[in-house]
Amino acid sequence: MSEVSESSGTSSGPVDLPFDPSARRLTTRQGIDTEELTGRTFPYQFERSLVDDVDLMAATPGEDLNWLEDIHMMSEDGMNAVFDRYTNAFLKIHFEVPEGREDEYARKVLIKHLQEGNSYGIWLKHKHAKFAQPELGSWLAGSATVGENYVAPTLDGWEKPIH
Amino acid sequence: MEQVTPKSSHRVDHRGLAEPDTKAPMIATVAGETAEFDAAGLTPRQINLEARRLLYTEGVTELTIHNPGAQHSIAVGLLTRCRITINGSLGYFGCGLIDGPEIHITGRVGWSVAENMMSGVVVIDKNAGSLTGAALRGGDLVVRGHAGARTGIDQKGGTIIVGGNVGSMTGFMMQRGRQIICGDAGQGLGDSMYDGQLYVGGKVAALGVDCVEAEMTDADHELIDRKFRIYRMDRPDTFRKFVCGKKLWNYDNLEPTERKLVL
Repeated sequence: MSEVSESSGTSSGPVDLPFDPSARRLTTRQGIDTEELTGRTFPYQFERSLVDDVDLMAATPGEDLNWLEDIHMMSEDGMNAVFDRYTNAFLKIHFEVPEGREDEYARKVLIKHLQEGNSYGIWLKHKHAKFAQPELGSWLAGSATVGENYVAPTLDGWEKPIH
Repeated sequence: MEQVTPKSSHRVDHRGLAEPDTKAPMIATVAGETAEFDAAGLTPRQINLEARRLLYTEGVTELTIHNPGAQHSIAVGLLTRCRITINGSLGYFGCGLIDGPEIHITGRVGWSVAENMMSGVVVIDKNAGSLTGAALRGGDLVVRGHAGARTGIDQKGGTIIVGGNVGSMTGFMMQRGRQIICGDAGQGLGDSMYDGQLYVGGKVAALGVDCVEAEMTDADHELIDRKFRIYRMDRPDTFRKFVCGKKLWNYDNLEPTERKLVL
């Protein structure tokens, strides 16, 4: 993993303070790990008790786990990790997972990550969403609306063609 | 340049293609968290704008859309938990790109229903066209009737359940997820699939390249029983399972590392 900066935490240790959403900063770094993209780690990566009360059934549409059926515990850099499809990156899980409950905890960590608005791909909505939409999609009812005032980016020195 | 067509108030550009409407028609009847509106005479854009207005800003969680008129691209890009009933049929690309909704369509659908669905449930009471569940990422897609060719093409997750038959090349280039087909499957089933499971209750005309039959496991039976229980469908007595034969797997083991180096 590349160097982590702009961080109140590191890739190897937990963060003490709750994350302040206003501290979100889009990065120009090109790494693909969650820690590098967000510049920090999150407490629930280290503390199992923080995700124990996540209700997976309530967090998903339909009468079973729905899309979480395809979420499994995986491995990244030799440690447990869950793949966050909204960021296209692995989120490492540092706490010890009870045997036989790997998928359950992978799903709980991922849902916690999404519900708290910490998925880097979702941060991008603030700048790049072209249409009004709930920031935290289907994971959290009543989340803020983003994309209402989209302004197309401009390129220095480029002029719109006449025709 | 914009113009107003003589027969309606729909605005189109000089090619007659675009619909520059940016405001929802505000025609729904709202009662608490429930709403309904008649889509007759509305364009797809107006229907979608009205649906988004209700679901995103009015606190509606139960929406009924009447008379969709088999128009294309209805109920697309909805990113919230809600229940939608569509009384009628849809054209192509209905319910695409959704993440969260549970949608019930009482009629038929055209090509590519629930294309790229991230999560949610889409239930279609009658038949579906080709490319049903194309590039599906997650959630359940249930077709109580038949589905056309290339069902679940490039499927990357989720579960497709078809009560009837499916056409040729079903599961083509499938990468993950599951398909439960109660009836027969056309030629080329699972052609060039990378991963995932295809369960077929009827006859298979012919397997595609690198698709092979596999043993049913307890987990397979649990999955099928659960899905049929949830959607209250009649379960065929037996299913055959088909998976990737892995003869076409030519992955470079260094790929993940190389990807990081390149990035």
